Amino acid sequence: MKKLGAVMMVAVSAFAAVGSVASDAKACGGEWVPAVEIDHRPEGIARAEKVLKKGEHAAAAAMIIRMMPHVKDLKAKKDGTLVARAQRILALSVARNNGALPIDKELPSYVQGTWIGKSDKDKATNLEWSVAALRKLNDIKKDDAAVQSDLAEALAKVEKHRGEAKAMLEKLAEKDLIATPEAYAALADLRSAAGDSEGQKLALKRCESMAKSANVCRASA
Amino acid sequence: MTRPLVLALALGSLLVTGCKKPEGRARPEASSTVSSASAAPSTTPPAPVHLAGDTERGRSLVEKFECSRCHDGTGVASAPLEKHCVTCHQDIWADKFKAKPDKIAKWKKTVVHYLNAPSFENAGERLEPAFVAAFVLRPHKLRPNMVSTMPRLRISEQEAADVAAYLTRGAKTAAEPPSGDATAGRQVLETKACGTCHAFSGVPDLPMKPTLSTPWQKGNDGIELAPDLRFTRDRTTFGKLWRWLEDPAKVKPGTLMPKLGLTEKEAKDAAAYLLGAKLEPLAKKPVPARLPVLERKVTFEDVDREVLQKTCRHCHTNPDIARGDGGPGMTGGFGFIPRKLDFSTYESTNGGLLDLKGERMSVFTKTKDGTPLLVAALLARQKEEAGEIDPEARGMPLGLPALTAEQVQIVESWVAQGRPQ
Repeated sequence: MKKLGAVMMVAVSAFAAVGSVASDAKACGGEWVPAVEIDHRPEGIARAEKVLKKGEHAAAAAMIIRMMPHVKDLKAKKDGTLVARAQRILALSVARNNGALPIDKELPSYVQGTWIGKSDKDKATNLEWSVAALRKLNDIKKDDAAVQSDLAEALAKVEKHRGEAKAMLEKLAEKDLIATPEAYAALADLRSAAGDSEGQKLALKRCESMAKSANVCRASA
Repeated sequence: MTRPLVLALALGSLLVTGCKKPEGRARPEASSTVSSASAAPSTTPPAPVHLAGDTERGRSLVEKFECSRCHDGTGVASAPLEKHCVTCHQDIWADKFKAKPDKIAKWKKTVVHYLNAPSFENAGERLEPAFVAAFVLRPHKLRPNMVSTMPRLRISEQEAADVAAYLTRGAKTAAEPPSGDATAGRQVLETKACGTCHAFSGVPDLPMKPTLSTPWQKGNDGIELAPDLRFTRDRTTFGKLWRWLEDPAKVKPGTLMPKLGLTEKEAKDAAAYLLGAKLEPLAKKPVPARLPVLERKVTFEDVDREVLQKTCRHCHTNPDIARGDGGPGMTGGFGFIPRKLDFSTYESTNGGLLDLKGERMSVFTKTKDGTPLLVAALLARQKEEAGEIDPEARGMPLGLPALTAEQVQIVESWVAQGRPQ
């Protein structure tokens, strides 16, 4: 009798265990398979970084907004986290598109927010966010010339920050630490605006030797 | 590759002591210059260091230089897995490393370095402090079948003597006059097939020659660790040597050196030959000719594939995107301060490293002769292998074979072309 009781208890426990698994599972072709949630964002962000490197800024930005519609409101606490990497991609895309991302056909209107930069005010808002996001990354990752190059590039797109951008880029250039052709293009533009045509030519030359496509430097020529 | 913490291109850690600003209005986009680095002028093989060492200081230096990241038997706790030189690589070959089987299979094709490091267990019973100090100060190729070598540390002569004093603590100093019959000793080496594991350069060939198995197997460990017997006379004394030959495990428990069943006379004869055989001079390894800059376009992808991925990132990477702390060339280690040199992306490579004052500088800064710092480090390693220590630059990859002339050419061409993406 005792033995039967034990068998019953085991059977009940087993049934309960199966039941608990089943509650977290989905039916698939008549079989029960566990439901597993996979976070695709790490892979997606790595892909977006590659797309950004190819110069497809709008596509990279759209990928980020699609994955993290609320990315603007997230706070990066450490360099290298998904949020930090996502914000860097988006901030650079915004800066490289002068505050207006041509993503109206890629994203539903309810996530577009100000990103497409319909008005000058929206563009300014976007660029200020870009500067703020990169500034935050620069604070987190102190003394990183690559992050400083990105930040200076964004700063150069906002009139009131252009002085700061030039100072940063000149300092980096003096030590041969400008990390991207886009930042050299920004320096060329800033030198040109300051009447330094010799300096502009040097910066453009560096941009052209680094860039995969001369288009990156053309805007500043 | 994961974090098999090696000492590859710890470039930043070690290269430069200071830099010179370009003069006048010269744009650094065009040029910048660096001057001199940590000097460790030397010859190869190194002359013994006879400074008296302090064991107390030596222990703290062993901790500072993190000797236990590679070596057992230092009296300091072994480094954890993610910081250990050889454990990850050994685990890969033993199929114990936690990674997907296809990754393991891929790594096995390239992981031939840092599979073993000699233990300092009872080192005082086997090694002379003057040799240990000289070797730490100016490492050379002691174990011909080991891919990696002792890295060139930023260490002074006195510090090296202190480290040696600590590692060989308890050594008996009483000198025992050499005895034994060297001719009979040669016979012992031949009969006992010492050449199965050991090279003995400079004497007539031993009948057997060491042969490493591929793929790797445990049997290779002894061959890897076996020193070139040419250096025995620098490393030890007659009294220590014959006792070692007579019963190696008694001197160093767990050693891979087998007990050969030698009588005391045979051990003394062998020791006499090892210490007294006439040595022909070593043929100097030639420094590869520097190849001209390529005319075809070289991109970062080329440099990354051919050089950075293969070697440099072991010690210079972003801890946020790889296991571990980014490596000693990034976050410091082996006595080197953090230099924050990250070769994981195009941007980070351009972003430079911290100099000894903590100021960021470009890894492409030109040295006195106009060679970019990165290239100078790669060339310096080629010279180090030829026995020429360059006081201007520490050779990279640190403790690993120099890059080929073709690999250096790719890096140099990329830099000369303005570092295209």
